[in-house]
Amino acid sequence: MNIPNINFIHAYRVAPWRVQRQWIGNALLLVVVLALVAGLYLNVTSRTAIAGREIQDLMSAIAISQQTSSDLHTQLASLTSASAMEQRARLLGFRPVTSEDLQYLVVPGYVAPEPVNLSSNALPQLSALTIPPEYNQSLLDWLDDRIASRRAQ
Amino acid sequence: MRSQYARRVQVLTGAMLLIALAIIVQLTRIQNSPEAAVFRQQAENYAYEWKTFYPNRGEIYDRNGRLLAGQKTVYEIGVDLTTVRDPHAIAFAVSRELGLNYDNLMNVIQNPPEGLSYLVLADFVDAQKALNLQELKRALQEQASSGTLGGLTGLQFKAHPQRSYPENALASNILGFVNREGKGYFGIEENYDNLLAGNPVSVLIPTDPNKAYEIPRVPDGTTMILTINRDLQAAAENILDKALLEYGAQDGTIVIMNPQNGELLAIAVSRRMDLNNFWNYGTIYHNATEFNPAISKTYEPGSVLKILTMAAALDTNTVTPATTYLDTGSVLIGGVTIQNWDRNPWGVQNMLGCMQHSLNVCMVNLATQMGANNFYTYMDAFGLGHLTGVDLAGESAGRLKVPGDSDWYPVDLGTNSFGQGVAVTPIQMMAAVSAVANDGRMVTPHSLFAMVRDGRQYNVPAQFAGTPISEQTAKTLTEMLAVSLEAESSLALVPGYRIAGKTGTAQIPVNGFYDGSQTNASFIGWGPIDDPQFMIYVWLERPTSSPWGSETAAPVFSEMAQKTVILLDIPPDFIRQQIASQ
Repeated sequence: MNIPNINFIHAYRVAPWRVQRQWIGNALLLVVVLALVAGLYLNVTSRTAIAGREIQDLMSAIAISQQTSSDLHTQLASLTSASAMEQRARLLGFRPVTSEDLQYLVVPGYVAPEPVNLSSNALPQLSALTIPPEYNQSLLDWLDDRIASRRAQ
Repeated sequence: MRSQYARRVQVLTGAMLLIALAIIVQLTRIQNSPEAAVFRQQAENYAYEWKTFYPNRGEIYDRNGRLLAGQKTVYEIGVDLTTVRDPHAIAFAVSRELGLNYDNLMNVIQNPPEGLSYLVLADFVDAQKALNLQELKRALQEQASSGTLGGLTGLQFKAHPQRSYPENALASNILGFVNREGKGYFGIEENYDNLLAGNPVSVLIPTDPNKAYEIPRVPDGTTMILTINRDLQAAAENILDKALLEYGAQDGTIVIMNPQNGELLAIAVSRRMDLNNFWNYGTIYHNATEFNPAISKTYEPGSVLKILTMAAALDTNTVTPATTYLDTGSVLIGGVTIQNWDRNPWGVQNMLGCMQHSLNVCMVNLATQMGANNFYTYMDAFGLGHLTGVDLAGESAGRLKVPGDSDWYPVDLGTNSFGQGVAVTPIQMMAAVSAVANDGRMVTPHSLFAMVRDGRQYNVPAQFAGTPISEQTAKTLTEMLAVSLEAESSLALVPGYRIAGKTGTAQIPVNGFYDGSQTNASFIGWGPIDDPQFMIYVWLERPTSSPWGSETAAPVFSEMAQKTVILLDIPPDFIRQQIASQ
């Protein structure tokens, strides 16, 4: 009773068009997997490249900002230099004080000014101490590493 | 028909597989060939490059936070020879803006050295001039028809920092300067060059932009806060300049120090240089000692050294203030007759009169009585002939001949006792006399108040250089000097404040003989004597209006002291006594 069915299934299984489809399907699967890996690799490397460029841009911006800040600081110091301030004071009608002009008053609780203190909070850490290899290795670098470590073993 | 197609496909597939296999074999062969190793090595050589990150040089502030040395942006202007479109336009614009020679510029742009693709035309160009050129380049680019390049295409600008001194020549002798290679010369800039410059960091940077790399943290150079008070420094320089004119002196120096801790508050010298134009050094100074004579230039101090002789005599109990002697106007020592400054006898004098009238005969007697061994032991303890250790580059040690030296003669004991035949610097005298002002403890003069690194400030503690005399000797001598000044109504007196001090008038040795017509006039004093806040040393070289220190250096001291008490907020004695009594 079942013999014809068995024959039909066997015939279906060994049908040449079916074997071809299996091969094509496998090949397509391989292509898709490769395309996925390549796409992923391209995506990661392009993002790494962009991040690298952004880091360089930011470093440049930091350097420019620091330079500008120093420049402005120095300009401000020039504008308030001893000679500049004296000249401005004289133009405004002031004259240097003499001991005859002074009257000393005892002010309870007065504390004489102390020399300047330029302490500030410690600067934030601008970079990680170490960057794990996962963040700077390409796929090929990683493969190289793995092969090299295998060989070493 | 169908089997024919199948056969063709199989053949074609086989051929393609063979080709693919051949490619793979060839790839593998190339990858493992000896040439591949060479190329791999070359690639590795170019894969990374060493990059050095230079820190910003540390800034220098005065004690009140006024910037004395900072950074400003300047530009390197160059041409990218591969993109130059119009060399004439570049040469014309640059020559016009920077004052360079047009022909020379044309020549270097058109005939650059072999193998160069970038050529520096000018460096350390002022920001404003670079900005003008940048705007001109932009304007020419905008005027150029679409799709073409502007006339200044190829002209490039690179900004970088340069040392800048906002106070120009103020305190130039203290600060020193930095040359274009970043090396410090003189003063603070040389003495603390390594700290100010910081540590450059070299790192391997991948040339492949796809690879991320660690950003090195390059801390700026250490920032310095000086003990100098900018306003006091400016006042000292003004007063010194006026004094040089008024008394016709060739050169001069004013040093102000806190005798209790050695903090230098101001050091004014007559020859100063705009540090932003440091290349004028050769036209202003003839030798290095002229940059900061207060620490570098040695001279015979004359009578101001009598303070040290009297201190030694009191400390060894050779005399007391009440001890008397008969002044005959001259004394014989080592076969040489020593006379008083006026060549007159002063009769019976006690030690107060000895200091008040600055009697050479008295000093020779004291040195003789205490003996050469005692005298030179004390002078050595006061630091004569030794570096004080002041933290400014270029200090001289001076010279104190002692018994046993080939050029020491017995007469030197006599002449040394009143400041002749001994070479000192003003800073040495300040350090030595600080022992008298500071209860016997001698300070080490210093100009660094604090260092700032990584946002933290480290204050520099005061350092002491020994205790050459006792506290009692110091107090006794201080009182003697104060009374001496008051008794002779010295021009050095400061209304409202009790001060102690001593004049000095020293003949200048020229070719082994003392020139009677030229003197070094000086005055060293401190106050208020019950709580000394300042010690001032005035040295005028070769004054022409009067040779005497009492008529030239003493009034300059008084003017400087009056300015000092105002700027340092030191109330007069009676106010301080009121406060103390409350």
